[in-house]
Amino acid sequence: MRDNFDEYRRKLLKQSISASTLAMVAASGLMIPRVLLAHWPQDAFNAETLEDAILTFLGEAEEVNEETIQFTIGSPPTYAVNGASVPVEISSSLENIERVALLVEKNPFPLAMALEPTSAFSFPFKTMLKVAEDSEIIAMVRADGKLYRTSRYVEIDIGGCA
Amino acid sequence: MTTKTRDRIRAKLLDGNTLIRILLSHPMHTGRGKNEQEELIPAEFIQDIRCWRNQEEVLTVKCGTATSRNPYFAFQLKGGEVGDTISLRWVDNLGGKGTTETKVV
Repeated sequence: MRDNFDEYRRKLLKQSISASTLAMVAASGLMIPRVLLAHWPQDAFNAETLEDAILTFLGEAEEVNEETIQFTIGSPPTYAVNGASVPVEISSSLENIERVALLVEKNPFPLAMALEPTSAFSFPFKTMLKVAEDSEIIAMVRADGKLYRTSRYVEIDIGGCA
Repeated sequence: MTTKTRDRIRAKLLDGNTLIRILLSHPMHTGRGKNEQEELIPAEFIQDIRCWRNQEEVLTVKCGTATSRNPYFAFQLKGGEVGDTISLRWVDNLGGKGTTETKVV
């Protein structure tokens, strides 16, 4: 009888310990799936050099300097008074576009914006970017397994990376 | 965690294509800016924007911190008709969300 009781007590203790450990783990957030961040390519956006950002986001492919991407930046072009909102416009005659990336070379994190268009999408695409200082702005398009790259230089009066 | 926003979206037919213009209302803090007390403002920026036309997904935009405050986007969709529903959802790095919807005119 005495042994039996001990065994029972042992089992109860064990169970309650494991249950409370589980509860602690769950509460600490370790088990919460990071669904929220899963869709955002964190490595690419946190890359601090241009090459890393390009490689992580667009992958390796033959790089072609192309005239098929039309690309203007700043207003008037190549010059922007306020780096906090530099207008950018891209258009391209390429077909089967898988990804488009906009990169600012001198920004702390070069990858600024990435598009994943579908077949219904068509250019031109316009947006505004923050640019920290005078820098090369690069537009890259991945289409049919090839990388197309164009760049423009822009002068900034007031840096806009705050 | 839905933030009250004044996101704007306009869609209109232009030479057979649909022209869409989007203006979201978001502070887009990069995590490097400082407030009046010289304290760092924590990062808060839109990461993911998705756009649908009549339940068909047409564009995904992933944003880094280098997107301007109150982000503006303009692009076109091939084809389209008057009355098509264009809807949009965005998610920021803190889990804030917003949706907005319009009809093509």
